Amino acid sequence: MSPDDLVVADRLGKRFGGFVIRDVSFRLGAGSMLGLVGANGGGKTTTLRMLAGLLAQDEGEARVLGCDVRCPGKAMRRGVGYMSQRLSLYSDLTVAENLWFRAGLHGLPASSVAKAASRFGLNAELGTRVENLSGGWARRAHFAATLLNEPKLLLLDEPTSGLDAVTRRTIWRWLRDLVGAGHIVIVSTHDLAEAEACPAVLHFIDGRADGPMSPAELIAASGGASLEQAILTLAEGA
Amino acid sequence: MRAVLAVARMEALRLLRSRASLTLLLIVPAIQILLFGYAIHPTAGKIAVAVAGADPSGRVSAAVEREPGLILAGGGLPAGGAEAAVRDGRASVGLELGEDGEIRAVIDASNPALTAGVDGRLWAAYWQMVARRGGVAPLQPALSIAHLFNPDARADWGFLPGLVGVIMMIAMTMLGALSLARERETATWETMLTLPVGPLDVLAGKIAPYVVVGTLQGVVVLGIGAALFGLPLEGSVLALVALMPVFAAAHLVLGYAVAARAASQLEALQGAIGLYLPAMLLSGFFYPFQALPGWARAVGEVFPLAHFIRAARAATLRGAGTAEVLGQGVPIMGFLALMLVVVWAQGRRSRA
Repeated sequence: MSPDDLVVADRLGKRFGGFVIRDVSFRLGAGSMLGLVGANGGGKTTTLRMLAGLLAQDEGEARVLGCDVRCPGKAMRRGVGYMSQRLSLYSDLTVAENLWFRAGLHGLPASSVAKAASRFGLNAELGTRVENLSGGWARRAHFAATLLNEPKLLLLDEPTSGLDAVTRRTIWRWLRDLVGAGHIVIVSTHDLAEAEACPAVLHFIDGRADGPMSPAELIAASGGASLEQAILTLAEGA
Repeated sequence: MRAVLAVARMEALRLLRSRASLTLLLIVPAIQILLFGYAIHPTAGKIAVAVAGADPSGRVSAAVEREPGLILAGGGLPAGGAEAAVRDGRASVGLELGEDGEIRAVIDASNPALTAGVDGRLWAAYWQMVARRGGVAPLQPALSIAHLFNPDARADWGFLPGLVGVIMMIAMTMLGALSLARERETATWETMLTLPVGPLDVLAGKIAPYVVVGTLQGVVVLGIGAALFGLPLEGSVLALVALMPVFAAAHLVLGYAVAARAASQLEALQGAIGLYLPAMLLSGFFYPFQALPGWARAVGEVFPLAHFIRAARAATLRGAGTAEVLGQGVPIMGFLALMLVVVWAQGRRSRA
């Protein structure tokens, strides 16, 4: 393992009753982005949850920022920002109250809240309860909370699901900026245009993870003409 | 009609697949039947009796041991020992036998449900004794009865101290269960587990506000009991108030343990309700603790409510001191520690 590999998964696997996810392997250094693509129930969320230390793997090894994901300590948790598909903000609190809560857990000063609000364009919504925000604004607030402490690794589970085109574009601009600043982003997505924007993807099919490879390599491996066609061809052939 | 059948079928399927609903429908009634059938015998209370003074041959002590429903809590005690046993809670009835044949009975009336019939039994036993001796009934009976702590045997004084505990138990268990279940239904709990905060810190932070609210609730209920119903606050009420945060925390963590196994807020609520019944029936709130069979008392001892009720009666009616009241906190803290271990183990299992 190279010291530059900050996230390493080696034949990671998980059994759920009769269903198995196996052979999830990849290495990522600073400033990398990996897209997780494939059908629903293919193992994308499970992989993200294992990397976040929320779920213990049954096979293989994974190290995140030098820590074994089986026993995630505070050091690993400080460096990882996990954003679930469902909104994980307290809906009965305001945006500012949610951000203060996160800042308190990370030991950050109150000024970090104002900084995050400016960065994600949330200044006008700081006093609004999350339950009163539209989906797009709520997702922005979710992003702000996840990125409040500038985590080295971002694990994002379908962060743009159900959002309009403008908000999706904004979020992907943020992701590119983060990667440019040296952060590592692992993002699951069903949107193939988004997947094509990833330098590398891991394709989940029939409980197995193929890759990482570039979207072009995935297209070439399937013999298709586009990423959509490639995924459909591979799914039908599985 | 078809639509009605379709809805009924859907509802029946959901009911059959809901573990919590089935528990509420089947297990809770089964517990009720068992408890009422085997454990709850309010008319056959086992009353602890202490005998002191002039009983050199142990005749009175032996008679107490023979009498169904009575337990000899101490025989052959020196003069004043029986009253002392009642005052410090070792016995519910004390018999002080004088050298001149006079009998002074001292009854702990802080639990009128237990000792309500004692007066009649004492008088019956006294007149039987006089009749057996074949003597003429004295003009002035040689039996006097004193009621300690609750001289008018007020039933409201009997249950008000326990009500403080019951109200706190219901509120804290429900709040604990709903608070965690709500977080688990949304993604906030999962996200919390990925943040740099230890599980004990999360637990301590989550229960802290509720512990304050629960303690305030207990103080308010106690205050209302004193202000509106004249409940005497004879003992170390401060010690009782000091016990309230521990009692509240124990039930909040119990609520978390219930919620950790529940799939929804509804299931968590049903689980909490399922616990109230045995806690109230076996803790001495509805029925005298001493009236329960041994196994039921052993189960009842596990519930913090049984100890809190003892502490509350001691601190209000019985005029007990700080040490006696706080002493009831030890098993409550044991229960809290046990629940913390349960919640911790459930947290570990959820990662597997």
